[in-house]
Amino acid sequence: MKRTLTVCPYCGTGCMFYLVSDGGRLIGVEPSSTHPVSRGSLCVKGWNAFAFVHHPDRLTTPLMRRGGELVPASWDEALATVVERLKEVQRRHGADAVMFASSAKATNEENYLLMKLARAAFGTNNVDHCARLCHSSTVFGLGEAFGSGAMSNSIDCVDRAGLILVIGSNTTEQHPLIGSRILAAARRGTRLIVADNRRIRLSRHADLHLRHKNGSDVALLSAMMQVIIAEGLEDRAFIEQRTENFPELAAAVAPWTPERAAAVTGLEAADIVAAARLFAGVKPAMIVYSMGITQHSHGVDNVRCCAALAMLTGNLGRPGAGVNPLRGQNNVQGGCDMGALPDVFSGYQRVADPALRGKFAAAWGVAELPESPGLPLTRAMDAAAAESLKGMFVMGENPMLSDPDQAHARHALENLEFLAVQDIFLTETAALADVVLPAACYAEKDGTFTNTERRVQRVRKAVEPPGEARADWEIICALAEQAGYPGMRYPGPAEVMDEIASLTPSYGGIAYDRLDPHGLQWPCPDRSHPGTPVLHLERFTRGPGRFVPVAYRPSAESPDAEFPFVLTTGRTYFHWHTGTMTRRSHLLDREEATAFVELNPQDAAALGVRDGEPVSVASRRGQITVRARVTEMVVPGVLFIPFHFAEGAANALTNNALDPESSIPEFKVCAVKIGRAS
Amino acid sequence: MRVLALEGEDEFFAALETRYLVRLPVLLADGSRALGTPGSAPLALAGGALPAKPTSAFFPHSGPLFSAGPEGVLLPPAPPKPLFVAGFTPRDLDCLRFIDRFFADGMLDDVYFRLRKGAVIAAVSGYCGAGGALLAPAGGGCDLEFVRDADRWLVVPYSEVGAALCSGLPDTAPDEALQRLKREGAALPDEDRTIIREASRLLREDLVPDSFWAEIGDRCIACTGCNLACPTCTCFGVQDWRYGQEVERGRMWDSCQLSGFMREASGHNPLGSEALRTRRRIHHKLAADVTRWGEISCFLCGRCDAVCPTGIGMLAVAGEMVERFGKS
Ligand code: SF4
Ligand code: SF4
Ligand code: SF4
Repeated sequence: MKRTLTVCPYCGTGCMFYLVSDGGRLIGVEPSSTHPVSRGSLCVKGWNAFAFVHHPDRLTTPLMRRGGELVPASWDEALATVVERLKEVQRRHGADAVMFASSAKATNEENYLLMKLARAAFGTNNVDHCARLCHSSTVFGLGEAFGSGAMSNSIDCVDRAGLILVIGSNTTEQHPLIGSRILAAARRGTRLIVADNRRIRLSRHADLHLRHKNGSDVALLSAMMQVIIAEGLEDRAFIEQRTENFPELAAAVAPWTPERAAAVTGLEAADIVAAARLFAGVKPAMIVYSMGITQHSHGVDNVRCCAALAMLTGNLGRPGAGVNPLRGQNNVQGGCDMGALPDVFSGYQRVADPALRGKFAAAWGVAELPESPGLPLTRAMDAAAAESLKGMFVMGENPMLSDPDQAHARHALENLEFLAVQDIFLTETAALADVVLPAACYAEKDGTFTNTERRVQRVRKAVEPPGEARADWEIICALAEQAGYPGMRYPGPAEVMDEIASLTPSYGGIAYDRLDPHGLQWPCPDRSHPGTPVLHLERFTRGPGRFVPVAYRPSAESPDAEFPFVLTTGRTYFHWHTGTMTRRSHLLDREEATAFVELNPQDAAALGVRDGEPVSVASRRGQITVRARVTEMVVPGVLFIPFHFAEGAANALTNNALDPESSIPEFKVCAVKIGRAS
Repeated sequence: MRVLALEGEDEFFAALETRYLVRLPVLLADGSRALGTPGSAPLALAGGALPAKPTSAFFPHSGPLFSAGPEGVLLPPAPPKPLFVAGFTPRDLDCLRFIDRFFADGMLDDVYFRLRKGAVIAAVSGYCGAGGALLAPAGGGCDLEFVRDADRWLVVPYSEVGAALCSGLPDTAPDEALQRLKREGAALPDEDRTIIREASRLLREDLVPDSFWAEIGDRCIACTGCNLACPTCTCFGVQDWRYGQEVERGRMWDSCQLSGFMREASGHNPLGSEALRTRRRIHHKLAADVTRWGEISCFLCGRCDAVCPTGIGMLAVAGEMVERFGKS
């Protein structure tokens, strides 16, 4: 019997637990009682994180497409084919005709290695990962305002906040052990404002629940700022000493009277005023947000408003405050930190900067590195659909279910001359591939994940991978070798981290021997640095904090006579993204076994739909059949569908409208119609 | 009664490994305590109840039931040696006694008893609770009890096997220590038990309104931790996995805080809300089991209160109940 301390593979909260194994098989999970985040608890996904690992569907050998079928192949053959075919695409169509999709599920080391493979061995900046779909608006918007897109504060700041504004985050379901802290804080008397039109659990404990219309966050937040400024509640000293561009912000929000915002948001003007006064009246105040803010065609503008509201009230650079975008995936923070992005190397060092390119080229032993930023993932799918991108290597992602407009995603992937997928199960995307490489899961390898509060923590191998499956980092290094690039030979992930630390100032002091037991929070510039729980203490990373005025833009698609409902998408508590792991975990699968749509009782009555009945939901892009869940959770006129289920894929309906600056898709708003399935 | 010096712990337990699969409290790398094996990590007999239930030695989080294939049905192999499990607090012993009875009643749970049969149970008590607090000695219900007295363990056997296992340790000269510890233990206040009995009465007399459960249910995030941590929670789910020609049937701890636990084949759920499910969890232990088994099946081990992220473990809920609906 063995216990292995590791990090939960699900959400960005980053709980650590022990995997219990016996005779080479996982038999359970025990929480770490000393971990600063989980403190002896876990959510239901953490408690079940062992349950999918030995599932019979695990990929155990490489697969290659022969005569239209995927059949087992040897590693040598599979690796050679991947490299040959990608190189051949590059010879015929140029270096930038291939795309590398990295993964927020993989370790820091693996993300770093995949971006190194793309840049050093394949000479392209076309590398990105699913952060594009979740927090690219944050990286852009907070980067511009503060100089860093990361969560400004730490999870334990929840315990110190005087007020918490939760906007666009169903925290108890999506970051359960952060949500439970917010809930506990509210019971102790911390003031709580929830802005989200779903009746989420936290709203039942809130001082104020604002059920504003989907896509109207800019109007709501601008009006709150207008009230604060009009009533003189802003933090003058902070604005003068720490920020720039305040007059421009004040001018931009001035027209947003509560009455005008009420018309756009559907709220009462008095509630907006109350929210503004409450928020400005309690310090420290913390803003917590997630996909409800980011996944819009104006996601960056939403983020700018959150940043501005916090600066306006002096709520940055102090414990218990800050702008706190909760990262969804276990390692989406790390994926970004590692430079699995088209425009930056690790630590957000720009590829366009010749000095930085020179630094990486010298360290990696190559003459030069590509200069112009590559394609974001969403634009790459568009390029594949338009036949200007021809080859793709996908590690641990499932765009067939996770990308907007599934018909478009399928068309894009089928259009490719060559598609390779590296994963732990045969996902809907892997099923379309020419070569499939079997990977080890989180419990079968070593590495690090970086949680939402920038805590870099050790992931440890508890059991062997099934069959011939290998760790992602080993596969990537083998591909580099195959491509004739000798710069990726490592005894293990620890040495990869040493290289990362040597090239990445914010990770400069990160090393495996320093990460026990519960990690370090970056920035951690050198080996004697204790890590940084709160950012922007004396000054913002960029210098002064910048107010960026925004103009309200409605969502790309509004309901009309033909498609009268607003559809918003997201996840349920029991499943993770495209369900590859959770739908293979017995208790989680039993809890939510089928695709469903949340529908308000009023709408259900008008449509003559009973709870549990199959209904048809259609948008301009597709149609699905799912079960009706009649519930007060949603307001009339709004539907909610989780995107976990291949047989009722929410993303068959969603709109591939992208934010112009961050290229994030508008997962949160599109127009649909609904009716009884005939 | 025998004596074990603290320096002698490692040697004593390691020596048992020739005849037993030894499981005992160890200190893991990050300071968590858990049931481990001798030599795998420093021993940590003191420190109070283990965060995870020690009954998991017989009823693990998940495990095989049988496999069926072309060769017929195969049961998982019996353990090569019987188990020796140390680390039960006196309250844990009550829990073990309860589930032994439960698993043996009616249709005997052969999977449980394959591990439980012949197992040696060692309790810990005396000044070895959290922060050195006193745990009143159990005085039975196990094969042997390790009672901490200052810087030594008094080792008290209660069965022949227990006596044989500690026979190599030095005998105490006529010693008042155990009597003293028992006296001190008996003098400990037991407010928790008073609260749980009063809460049980309130439930059995139907004095707790539904609105209370709605309020408590609103705070449950359905993590299932309260059930998984509880030594007297014995529900399990069953799953079949097919590997080629062979089907493996296994079971894993289940939780009545999940909606799927009670959902009928029709899709209807008689316990369709967190409020009803939380009521059921508490009601089951404090009222239903009193009728079925003649005793409250919460023995106040404290695990559900420690593991619940929102503060609605058994004692917290019972306390709130008594405060609001009990006699003033
Ligand atoms: S809160 Fe997140 S990290 Fe923690 S156990 Fe749940 S899914 Fe895992
Ligand atoms: S205290 Fe909680 S975990 Fe312990 S026996 Fe009672 S109900 Fe079970
Ligand atoms: S531990 Fe608490 S939150 Fe978790 S299921 Fe039990 S009562 Fe609910």
